[in-house]
Amino acid sequence: MLILVETPAGFAVFKLKDEGKLANIEDLAKEFETAESARKIVKLKAFDKFDNTSEALEAVVKLHEGTPSKGLRKFLKANCEGETLAVADSKLGNVIKEKLKIDCVHNNAVMELLRGVRSQFTELLSGLGDHDMAPMRLGLSHSLARYKLKFSSDKVDTMIIQAIGLLDDLDKELNTYAMRVREWYGWHFPELAKIISDNILYAKSVKLMGNRINAAKLDFSEILAEEIEADLKEAAVISMGTEVSDLDLLHIRELCDQVLSLSEYRAQLYDYLKSRMNTVAPNLTALVGELVGARLISHGGCLLNLSKQPGSTVQILGAEKALFRALKTKHATPKYGLIYHASVVGQAAPKHKGKMSRSLAAKSALAIRFDALGDGQDNTMGLEHRAKLEARLRNLEGKDLGRLSGSAKGKPKIEVYDKDKKKGSGGLITPAKTYNTAADSLLGQKPAKSEDGEESSKKKDKKKKKKVESEEEAEKEEPSKKKKKKVEEEEEAEKEEPSKKKKKKKAEAETEVVEVAKEEKKNKKKRKHEEEETTETPAKKKDKKEKKKKNKD
Amino acid sequence: MSPPQRGRGGGGGGGRGRGLAKGGGGSAVRGRGSESGGGIKGGNKVLVAPHRHAGVFIAKSKGDALVTKNLVPGEIIYDEKRIFVQNEDRSTVEYRIWNPHRSKLAAAINIGVDNIWINPGLKVLYLGASSGYTVSHVSDIVGHEGCVYAVEHSHICGSDLVNMTEKRTNVIPIIEDARHPAKYRMLVGMVDIILCDINQPDQATIIALNASYFLKPGAHFMITINANSIDSKLSAETVYQKEVEKLQMEELRPTEILPLDNCEGDHACVFGGYRLPRKQNS
Repeated sequence: MLILVETPAGFAVFKLKDEGKLANIEDLAKEFETAESARKIVKLKAFDKFDNTSEALEAVVKLHEGTPSKGLRKFLKANCEGETLAVADSKLGNVIKEKLKIDCVHNNAVMELLRGVRSQFTELLSGLGDHDMAPMRLGLSHSLARYKLKFSSDKVDTMIIQAIGLLDDLDKELNTYAMRVREWYGWHFPELAKIISDNILYAKSVKLMGNRINAAKLDFSEILAEEIEADLKEAAVISMGTEVSDLDLLHIRELCDQVLSLSEYRAQLYDYLKSRMNTVAPNLTALVGELVGARLISHGGCLLNLSKQPGSTVQILGAEKALFRALKTKHATPKYGLIYHASVVGQAAPKHKGKMSRSLAAKSALAIRFDALGDGQDNTMGLEHRAKLEARLRNLEGKDLGRLSGSAKGKPKIEVYDKDKKKGSGGLITPAKTYNTAADSLLGQKPAKSEDGEESSKKKDKKKKKKVESEEEAEKEEPSKKKKKKVEEEEEAEKEEPSKKKKKKKAEAETEVVEVAKEEKKNKKKRKHEEEETTETPAKKKDKKEKKKKNKD
Repeated sequence: MSPPQRGRGGGGGGGRGRGLAKGGGGSAVRGRGSESGGGIKGGNKVLVAPHRHAGVFIAKSKGDALVTKNLVPGEIIYDEKRIFVQNEDRSTVEYRIWNPHRSKLAAAINIGVDNIWINPGLKVLYLGASSGYTVSHVSDIVGHEGCVYAVEHSHICGSDLVNMTEKRTNVIPIIEDARHPAKYRMLVGMVDIILCDINQPDQATIIALNASYFLKPGAHFMITINANSIDSKLSAETVYQKEVEKLQMEELRPTEILPLDNCEGDHACVFGGYRLPRKQNS
């Protein structure tokens, strides 16, 4: 059996004299303790020296990739016919077996053998002392290190990491300078700060007019809207600010120039970042957008590192502090990190954000791997995944709507009692039942409050769908309609939630309106208890709104 | 530990002083402490005494500092302070201050480890070399006869490491993942000690694999354990115990476990031996 040993000086092949020794691994180590006993076990058969460092570097790099270099191949062909070869790397062994038809061996015994050979190397390799080896070793290691380091500069994702870092820095700087302009110029023309709220427009206006006296003569139509221009000119005349000299104005104008050029550059940088992201990671960009994608890459260090992370990590990248705190104290871990700012998660309703974040993270992990390790340059995969995610979002919302409109059977959903679920009062399932006078028949009478209640509820419902609104109105008039029960329930619950949050639970003073609407339903819905407890608050709020409305008119 | 002796110029102490001052080895030499660091103010008289561990020295002034003799006089790694000591024959010996906050090995020495097993002339394999700060001090200790193989995976630290090694010829930079010692087998010979500072959850396996490739039987190792890097949910002591057990399974028998108090977080240093001969029952 032959042993292949790679050294900085060249390749060496040793012949194992006594194969029986391999059976006893433990004793092998002892055999190699002295040079004499070592020579009894192995003998140098052939040695192929590297001509120079570059040849050595090439050979080693090829070894790293897993293929034998030309020199090695020739060497092995010449010396290893018909014998098995012990190698240190099983992958290399496989390749040698394929290409050169030489059987290769790699196991624990081989490792021990190699250890032994390595420890007695200088003795076994006559003609090559330690002193000769050392400079070769040094040379090879330096050239190898340089090769490795240079290779990394081809990675384009470093540009993205730098660009997003710069973008954040620029934003901070821009804000600082813009605030400074406002403060500085505010000594001269304080009213302007309130008139123009946008930083860039402010800087442009200041640059244009300089001293506020000029405001009346100049035309701001390119910069500002007409009303704002009018306000500006008005305020300029009656301003309370101090006078400033031309020199001061010069400096303020310079600062404005800086602000404007920075903001222009920021826009350019953002475009650059977008184009880079689309080149480096098109699928990730298609899924989460350029900014979020760039932040993820920057957080992960490089695209390759990010590709090694599982989807669950991608989901909470950026929320590490919360994550480890939760893990240590055995609380619930955060549901989203940087990925929260992706549009797919942003579009989702608050209760679906967690689910969407998880699905998005899973798909993003796939997209990242595709971008980092795959060959394709297009973003079809990312777009497909995005479509799937949006379908999922619609599905989730659809399920909700289904619940909203009620099931066909009309049976109420019985919720599992969970004392930790924070819905209204934690512990109570249903409050004590009392006789409700509002449930008395009101045929022929339209209680006055209900009308006002309607109007105020109309005002409140600006955010909600009109269908539901009209349903609610109809509901108030004909409380017996079962179909739209749950719609109104939800709505009222939602209305009452904000009011409930503002006010504490007070003693129940039942009002006709709400009670009429509810008692007819005989619902055991989870939110019922909370509604009943906050009966008077919505009514109070409605009353307040009525008053306000009256005052305004 | 040899007691520091003050060499007085002239008078009765002169003869004693003359006999002592010899290249800084084996005796204390009064030196000029310039570029103060660690409590040593510039211009003060500083005493440099050899430490219990060979190759390491202590500089005594108002405060003590750990120093090593600079292998490449005139060169510093980042901005550490140096101490210059004048010999009898007017040559200066340069010492570099070793900061225990930056280097865990220095922290371990300060706390008082029994034996660091690093001696002049030894071959050292250092996994997790980073920018090369501790590596430079280890290279100072082993001197020109010894050799330090510095393995570092990151490219950013790697380029700093390569720059450092250009001046120091007894350090071999290896920019590879320590998980695959096969990839740098042609660069490394057998070593007398492995120092491991990589903070990976599978570091026990990594050091065992490297030991099986390169560590001589009966030799030693040092590994720093960062409890948070292994498992952030368990307590530090549990993590250290688990790591020690893992090491023991791989023939790496720990002889000393040293918690490092002055580091942030929970760190510990484990020193031990590899394939140590079993003690014979007499």
